[in-house]
Amino acid sequence: MLDAVIELHQLTKHYGGTLAVDDLSFKVEPGHVTGFLGPNGAGKSTTMRLILGLDAPTSGQALVNGRRYATLSRPMHEVGALLDAGAVHGGRSAYNHLLCLARTNDISATRVAEALEQVGLSGVARKRVGGFSLGMKQRLGIAAALLGDPGVLMFDEPVNGLDPDGVRWIRDLMRSLAAEGRTILLSSHLMSEMALTAERIVIIGRGKLIAESTVAELTARYPSLEDAYMALTADSVQYGAAR
Amino acid sequence: MKAVFSSEWLKLRSVTSTYHTIGTAALMVALGAAWTFYVSGLADERGSLRAAAPEEGFLPLVQISLAVLGVLAITNEYATGMIRTSLITVPKRGTLLLAKAGIVGLTTFVAANAILLVTYSASRLIASDRHLGFNGTSFADDLPKLLASALSVTALALVGLGLGAAICSTAGAIVSVVALLFVLPGVVNYLPPPWNTRVATLLLPNLVPQIADERLSTRLGDGFLPPWAALAVLIAYPIVTLTIGYFLLRRRDA
Ligand SMILES: Nc1ncnc2c1ncn2[C@@H]1O[C@H](COP(=O)(O)OP(=O)(O)OP(=O)(O)O)[C@@H](O)[C@H]1O
Ligand SMILES: [Mg+2]
Repeated sequence: MLDAVIELHQLTKHYGGTLAVDDLSFKVEPGHVTGFLGPNGAGKSTTMRLILGLDAPTSGQALVNGRRYATLSRPMHEVGALLDAGAVHGGRSAYNHLLCLARTNDISATRVAEALEQVGLSGVARKRVGGFSLGMKQRLGIAAALLGDPGVLMFDEPVNGLDPDGVRWIRDLMRSLAAEGRTILLSSHLMSEMALTAERIVIIGRGKLIAESTVAELTARYPSLEDAYMALTADSVQYGAAR
Repeated sequence: MKAVFSSEWLKLRSVTSTYHTIGTAALMVALGAAWTFYVSGLADERGSLRAAAPEEGFLPLVQISLAVLGVLAITNEYATGMIRTSLITVPKRGTLLLAKAGIVGLTTFVAANAILLVTYSASRLIASDRHLGFNGTSFADDLPKLLASALSVTALALVGLGLGAAICSTAGAIVSVVALLFVLPGVVNYLPPPWNTRVATLLLPNLVPQIADERLSTRLGDGFLPPWAALAVLIAYPIVTLTIGYFLLRRRDA
């Protein structure tokens, strides 16, 4: 699992006139949580969609374990991802939803039950997902990402909607997954949480790389990770409230 | 591939819309029985008469209901965002669409045959030995028409799937299917002859009688297409729409 990495090479994505990701290059290495930060609209979610082959880059490329995601034949065994917890059919039960995903990659029903147990949803496994709260959907999305026991994991704002207990659970889960030697890319807007969870930080703004550093370095130079973030992204905030 | 098929099979079985669409299609049985009771009553008063066969008259109901099943197989994934989750688990988009097509095709073919056969049998039983115009022929004679009808349902469901993949919108795809089935045949009447009848022979609703080697409606004259050609045109419909759907699905950002 040691060489399990995500690599971006001059990744660029235009949507019509919008430049969402601009010549972005960085690597995410195994063994620790890499925090992925940036203001609203910076291009974090877009970058993750490009890595997963959902959107096609305008130029450049994104590689996972040295290969383009779209060329993986059973991708859930290599990469797990949670992009949007709401992206589920509300009419299906949690169990059936996960089993639909599991079957595509030859993952067993036993493993589905295990993953539900792991995220604390066993009790509502047969309930319709449409009736789930945001936090329950986040847990379901995390279960989906963990199904194939992948070496690379990507989470787009997974703590959104989680209760304090859930926030701590995510923090511990991320750290223990990283400690097992996995590669973890985690985006979030909660700086204090990120400071506790991540070891390395990638900050982007307006689609460009602003900083690639460790949490230790940033907190040594600035009073806190939040101060570091504020100082580094001051010029890149696009959707800020008037002060 | 087998893994993706089994996933798509579970996806179809685990949403209620599947049961609603098949249930609506199965209304044909009740409507067909009611129709046969009605014309049997008329026949008891007047002796014999010429009524339309219920499995022919109500075929559009089965076609449109199961076409909606085909449409929803992909557009409900766009509506919910599930398509992204699906494409993360199966990044090869052609494989995903092919598995959906296989499952939609099999399900609608089995459902259509079952509904048509039950309607057919029930109406013949109800008609008993009255002369209703549609019950004079043997089952062996009627079989090609029944199979062609079921095949037309499957073709239309796959057209729905292809259009759904191309347009991504439930409403848009259903409107397109309705246009193919009900609007286009009306519009074609206004083409200058002989183009009205020539084009009409290629339209979905007119292919079933031509495959069964029957006369089209008297206004259109006899079908221009021999059964094998009509069958080829019927099969071309889903192949063309699914191919278009595939290319758009492959090129588009999900
Ligand atoms: N499908 C799309 N079509 C058009 N523009 C898009 C699309 N997806 C993203 N964008 C644009 O690309 C830019 C980056 O958006 P993205 O969602 O990646 O930001 P983000 O960093 O995830 O923001 P947030 O923190 O708010 O989640 C934005 O300007 C957005 O409007
Ligand atoms: Mg985002």
